[in-house]
Amino acid sequence: MLKIWKITAVLMLAAMVLAACASPAATPVAEPQADMCMGAASGDEITMLYQWAGQEEERLNQILKPLVDACGLVLKPESTRDQALLDTRVQAGTPPDVAFWNVTQLTQYQDKLKDMASLGASQDAYITGAIDPGVIGGKWLGLPVKSDIKTIIWYSPVNFQAAGYAVPTTWDELVALVDKMVADGNVPWSMGMESGDATGWTGSDFLQDIFLVKQGPEFVMNIINGTVPYNDPGVKGAYEIYGKWAMDQKFTVGGAEGTLSTNFNDAILKVFSDPPEAFMVKQSGFAGGTITTQYPTLVFGTDFDFFVIPGAQGLQGGSDWMMAFSDKPAVKALVSYLASPEGGVAWAKASFDLSPNKAAAGNYTDAALIKKAAAFYAAKGFTPDIGDTIPGGFGSAEWKAIVDYLNGGDLDAALATAAAVQKEALGK
Amino acid sequence: MAARPVPRIMQQGKLAPFYYLAPALIIMFFFIVYPMFNTVQLSFLNNNGTASASATCVDGRPCWGVFENYRYALTAEFNSGSVKAFWNSFWLSSYGNTIKWIIFMVAGTVILGLLFAKLVDGIKNEALAKSILFMPMAISFVGAGVIWKFMYSYGTQQVQTGLLNAIISAIGGRPISFMTQPVLNTYALVVVGIWIWTGFCMTILSSSLKSVPDEIIEAARVDGATEWNVFWKIIMPIIMPTVIVVVTTMVINVLKQFDIVYVMTGGNYNTDVIANRMYTEMYINFNTGRGTAVAIILVIAIIPFIYLNIRRFIAQEEMR
Repeated sequence: MLKIWKITAVLMLAAMVLAACASPAATPVAEPQADMCMGAASGDEITMLYQWAGQEEERLNQILKPLVDACGLVLKPESTRDQALLDTRVQAGTPPDVAFWNVTQLTQYQDKLKDMASLGASQDAYITGAIDPGVIGGKWLGLPVKSDIKTIIWYSPVNFQAAGYAVPTTWDELVALVDKMVADGNVPWSMGMESGDATGWTGSDFLQDIFLVKQGPEFVMNIINGTVPYNDPGVKGAYEIYGKWAMDQKFTVGGAEGTLSTNFNDAILKVFSDPPEAFMVKQSGFAGGTITTQYPTLVFGTDFDFFVIPGAQGLQGGSDWMMAFSDKPAVKALVSYLASPEGGVAWAKASFDLSPNKAAAGNYTDAALIKKAAAFYAAKGFTPDIGDTIPGGFGSAEWKAIVDYLNGGDLDAALATAAAVQKEALGK
Repeated sequence: MAARPVPRIMQQGKLAPFYYLAPALIIMFFFIVYPMFNTVQLSFLNNNGTASASATCVDGRPCWGVFENYRYALTAEFNSGSVKAFWNSFWLSSYGNTIKWIIFMVAGTVILGLLFAKLVDGIKNEALAKSILFMPMAISFVGAGVIWKFMYSYGTQQVQTGLLNAIISAIGGRPISFMTQPVLNTYALVVVGIWIWTGFCMTILSSSLKSVPDEIIEAARVDGATEWNVFWKIIMPIIMPTVIVVVTTMVINVLKQFDIVYVMTGGNYNTDVIANRMYTEMYINFNTGRGTAVAIILVIAIIPFIYLNIRRFIAQEEMR
């Protein structure tokens, strides 16, 4: 027994001697670059809350790595899809230093958020219009970090070619193509929208795209500010176009019941299954990921591709916003890094969707992102999601109107109910 | 002999019981009483608790002043255009649906529970049969909702993955979209609730069936009573107090019903119930005023059943 102790003691001594010798030889920590770190000291912590997980989280870490390495910041992230967590933290007075969340929260927490300009960000770093939804009451409260475009239609070039269809270049061509598909006995659309307690959002995206084609971005912004009531004839007209497609078995997979009860992710896949159930699905940029997860062998450009909805005046785009509840030096360093050209380039290289940071342009590597970026930078303007932007329950009222209408309800009554909520939410 | 005085150390003042109760009372206060008062207070305030609810009134539209959130909670779902429109919208609202849930789920669980309790009573593998019937109770409601979502699944292809629609199409019928049709969907959800809770009702009713004295039943049979009469005229009156406790407990359970609806339809397609509406107002629309007003209405609706339950409980204690 004694022997073992002796050996242990000798080993420990040896280890200590080794350690003592080794430490002075260690590479000195790189001197933090004063301008980049904004006075943050090595070891400063940033608590973060976001909805990303898995690969998305890895990409974020990859983007932030240069900053973390240079300044020795310690990131304390928490990943959740539960907004109640964020709300509870904020209400309890213990918000995270920064949150990556939706545009609605900028309005919701406007009194608690720090002005981005005061944290070292410059509006000039962003493409025109990208930060507009983040300016509330004259204060710039959030950085749009990860953007996606919604005004696109996914299709299979292989299937299009086999059936002899061409990508439409005007809205009328799109309508003609849809009718031609029906005449050929094919189902043009896969419009499934089931999404648990958020069922209806796929429909509201589609409708907003029809507004952009038929009326334009001004009309959408007027709905958001309340000048145009939600039961305006223009809105009703768009619902009728949408309803014609979404409720008829000839136009969409499964007719109204299929639209209401098919999950939105399944709806995307129906276009790329073998045999395909439909030819087109209108869905945001994330659909590309859904397709490759399910069918890893499909190649962008040949097996699946998208086109911007023809005739759309401006794009419907959405961003995840970074908002800061703290103005400590580490947060300043994070904000100024993300708003800097280096941050924009790092974002593009990480293939983490689009970045509205001007410097990101030209640095994308993924084929689908390059095409998305082209549409993104060529856009005449952006309109935010109507339902997300009007506070106070309009979002769910809009979904309810869509679901009720598709489920056989009276369109005028459904729109009148939504319009009443819109009016109330905007205090008009 | 004069009574010996109780030693001082064993005398307890009037306060002593409260010392024993203090830990429980403190916990109750912080987790039940305080939130309750806070909820009442919030229900009279606006969407984020910063101003009175009356401030949310809009000129030229109905307003109940400080009770504005209650006006919304009680009337917003109804179409008051005509009596017929009101009647139709009522039965598709969260209130109408909750009433459907109470009627069909309570009746379903209690009747089936009693039936199973009677059927398995005294059979060879009674314990096994009861365990199997009780099993759904061991599954979380969210889990049960997900399972049944698959059961009811409606596919757009010829091949149906949902069990029920697979059966329907196998025998040549047209698949039914169970979750989206308002004439059907709430009842389809009630079936899930019955599936979960029947085992619970059966267990309690079964133990009360066993407490019915054999002598009485034997005596009735000797007097020539049919089994039907024995059940209705002898067993039922004896187990009635338990049936009432089970019914009131189930009503309370059903009024709180949230999980199944949230998981399976999210309250869409006119399947909303009061508890899910409370969640929607609170966590989707972020309107604490309206959310808490719905919560208070729910509490008020539950109180009579809690009262009945407690009174029955006290009466039973006194009989012992």
